[in-house]
Amino acid sequence: MFAVPGVGWLIAFFVVSVYAVMAVAFGGVDPFLKTSIPAWNPLQWDFTTMGNVIHEVFNGYLREVFVRTFVFVALSLAGCVAIGYPVAYYAARKAGRHKGLLLAALVLPFWISYLMRMLAWTNLLQPDGLVNQVLGWFSLPDNRNWLDGDWYTVVIGLIYGYVPFFILPLYSTLERLDGRLIEAGRDLGASARQTFLRVTLPLSVPGLMAASVITVLPMFGDYYTNSYLTSGSPRTEMVGNQIENYLRNTGQPQTGASLVLILMAMLFVLMVYYMVTTIRQQRAAER
Amino acid sequence: MSQSRRDFLARSVQLGVLLGAGAPLLQACGGSDDKRSQISSTIADGLPPEKGPLRIINYADYVNLEVIADFEAKYGVKVEISTIDTDTEATTKLASGSIKADVHHSMSGTSIGNLIAGGLIQPLNKSYIPNFVNVIETFKDPWYDPGAKFSVPYTFFGTGIGYRTDRIDPALVESQGWDAIWNATDFKGQVSVLDDEREAFTMAMLRKGITDVNTTDQKIIDQARTDVSELIDLVNVKVNIEGYKDIPEGTTSIAQTWSADLIAGAAGYLPEGVTDEVLGFWHPPAGEYVVTNDSMGLLANAENPVLAHLYLNYLLDNEVAEKNFSSVGYLPAIAKLDADFVIAAGYVPEHLRNCVPTAEEIAKAIYLEPLGAEGDAKYETAWAKFTAGG
Amino acid sequence: MNPFRRRHGKAPVLAMVTWVYVLWSLLPVLIAVRISLNNGRSRSSFQPMSFRWYWGDSTASLLHDDSMRVALFNTLELAGLCMLIATPIGVAMAIGLQRWRGRTSNAANGLMLVPIVTPEIVFGVALFLVFTQLYTGFPDGLTRQLLGHVTFTISFVVVIVRGRLAAIGTQYEEAARDLGASRLQAIRLVLLPLLSPAIFASVMVVFATSVDDFVISSFLSTGASTETVPIKIYSGARAGSTPALNALATVMLLLTLAAVAIATVVLKSIQRRGGEDPGPTGGLAGLSG
Repeated sequence: MFAVPGVGWLIAFFVVSVYAVMAVAFGGVDPFLKTSIPAWNPLQWDFTTMGNVIHEVFNGYLREVFVRTFVFVALSLAGCVAIGYPVAYYAARKAGRHKGLLLAALVLPFWISYLMRMLAWTNLLQPDGLVNQVLGWFSLPDNRNWLDGDWYTVVIGLIYGYVPFFILPLYSTLERLDGRLIEAGRDLGASARQTFLRVTLPLSVPGLMAASVITVLPMFGDYYTNSYLTSGSPRTEMVGNQIENYLRNTGQPQTGASLVLILMAMLFVLMVYYMVTTIRQQRAAER
Repeated sequence: MSQSRRDFLARSVQLGVLLGAGAPLLQACGGSDDKRSQISSTIADGLPPEKGPLRIINYADYVNLEVIADFEAKYGVKVEISTIDTDTEATTKLASGSIKADVHHSMSGTSIGNLIAGGLIQPLNKSYIPNFVNVIETFKDPWYDPGAKFSVPYTFFGTGIGYRTDRIDPALVESQGWDAIWNATDFKGQVSVLDDEREAFTMAMLRKGITDVNTTDQKIIDQARTDVSELIDLVNVKVNIEGYKDIPEGTTSIAQTWSADLIAGAAGYLPEGVTDEVLGFWHPPAGEYVVTNDSMGLLANAENPVLAHLYLNYLLDNEVAEKNFSSVGYLPAIAKLDADFVIAAGYVPEHLRNCVPTAEEIAKAIYLEPLGAEGDAKYETAWAKFTAGG
Repeated sequence: MNPFRRRHGKAPVLAMVTWVYVLWSLLPVLIAVRISLNNGRSRSSFQPMSFRWYWGDSTASLLHDDSMRVALFNTLELAGLCMLIATPIGVAMAIGLQRWRGRTSNAANGLMLVPIVTPEIVFGVALFLVFTQLYTGFPDGLTRQLLGHVTFTISFVVVIVRGRLAAIGTQYEEAARDLGASRLQAIRLVLLPLLSPAIFASVMVVFATSVDDFVISSFLSTGASTETVPIKIYSGARAGSTPALNALATVMLLLTLAAVAIATVVLKSIQRRGGEDPGPTGGLAGLSG
């Protein structure tokens, strides 16, 4: 049947790959070459490394990294919502004549390479770059080194990078909101503000959650945004950096693989939530 | 219908798992033991060079592209360079087979032992490398590769402090030594240490007077890590190997660097209007000075071994080494290119003379030796803790 | 006329916020493009314009620096092949999933959705490990990257096409069957043409996703000959880079925009021929799913 090639492919390259992560995480390592000796047979799985890593995550040095990652993601999400909701709302309901143009402008970042957008930011944030120059015009301190390894640079970078992914799904939801419900609210005498708070906002919550989840999930594994923007500062290290470091630069691939599994476990709830709601939507649409 | 579909899916998963179980069986029957042992035979003498392309693994900006172009012209082949960021990355990629190359352009002393034991590099046939006589004496029989059977030296350099003389008084750095980095609180965000777990912790150990930097004593390692971690809050320290461009460009004021970073910086990364007077270098006295060198070697599964030998020979030629040095800034281990020569030829400014390790410094140098899987793991874990934020 | 229209009409503050956002979103990219035209090495300030980094500089410009050209070709090759492979598999999977009844359909649906919700680093690590430990018969980096990209993008195709499938419904196919067409003919001659806007949209999304992919390409790369443009940009932040990097990014940007423009035009003409006028937002609505 038609779905067979797709399902087969995904099993071969996705399911098996994830299984490989487990095999490596619970396997051994070659003492000379420091490469992994994966344990394919579940009966041979060795959980000591995973145990150590879990211990470090909850009690040791990895706790700081995980907490920091959560904080960065939370702050970035807040930023995305603060910036993205008004924009999505305007585009969905208020744009009028310019809607097409606005939509094109909102979709454009999808077609621009993520790293190019970050490259653009590093150009701007150089000590002699435009951001400092503009600050200088307003007599604000203009010699700050933004690429210093400060958390706000990373958060701004994450927001800049991910907000387009937040706006578009939210826009879809807001556009599909039944305008009559909102008009009904106004007809019944509520002010614009009350209508928004009591009608529009609650109606948009599922869309808001979906957009948040789809934005936040990739952010958790991001390691290149902060690394690109801070040329290596321990202060902004996220889980993704630790994973990459363990797998690329050390002789402990099992630790890296274990971290990947832990990350997936932590994101499991979010992942399942998104999948379940999407399947439900699809079913509803197809009825 | 759904029954058979479910069966199909279930069977595919089983098949996948079986494949997984089968693979190591194959590996066990096959050559995994061979992979792990040292190779003892070289290629034969007098073979003709292959057609190429010659593939090289190297750090970024670590060989003069004009030298490469000259080699391409001379032998009528193409050269491809793959860049790696760290030494361990190269070893990991080679071991996992995820990179294929002929020449390893930048093996460090710590990794050569593993590469040899793991059968990843093969011994050299010196009949193809007559220029070997040009090499500095000490490096003809290095500690990491007795008799230089598997490697020829590429560049050598020492680890010290690079800094901006227009921002920090050289006298201050001379008197404080390594403490200058810890005291650089006026330059928050403009301080960096090398992105290398051994180098950074070695610096902390030397600062406290410990010269056995190859210790695997967990307490000493932890203390070193704590010391380096202080820098996070003290000076908002960065971790990278970009001192060679950051110090001339001014984004870094003081950093743990390699001696050659200053030479390279002076040669190619100063912005317009800035002279090399602003660059300064300090290093510990001989006996506490870590002098490292990178070596070149021939990879075990090289498809162009003869061409690779010719390339190694080419780089050991005096003129070629000089041309390479003029752009890369890292001193080749060639006897002719000593301090007097390079300063007279204008490659190194007089005030950066101390960037060229002297014969005495080389002879008394401290080396970073490989520590075995457990020892390395201790440093790696400490490093992971440091980069995680403390 | 609704007497309230005047009251809840334009919302100027919101408009301003939105357009400021658009500016903030796009201006840095324009600046990066402008910097690619610098005649000097500065990556932070504007210097007099020249095409030095595109073809002028004899060693470091796009035309002369082999590694840049290789990265560009790799990226385009990967994206092109990925489009050709992922789209048919994805379309077929969407059609198949829509008709799949029974309990296993949930599992299949879930399987299809998991890649979308999986962070890329998990993908990158998993694929890297599987290719180095299990599927060692694929030593070539480009092959690995292609397989990785396809795995990653199939799900996007499915989601986009399914949305359209739901909107179309089954009546057209059933009508064709009633008129005597076989199942396959009904799909080929009726359903696929109706799906063409969605198929086109998904081709574009696959292209954009593949071109932009960094994590998977980076983990699966086996050397300089398998670098892609995102990898080049990322590693350029480390080494002494020049505006040639900006030039590379600009060229990639122009190619992508050209592809999108062509696709939108084709999309519009297909839709118009099919009797629907999507309006200015129609084509793009297909993309946002």
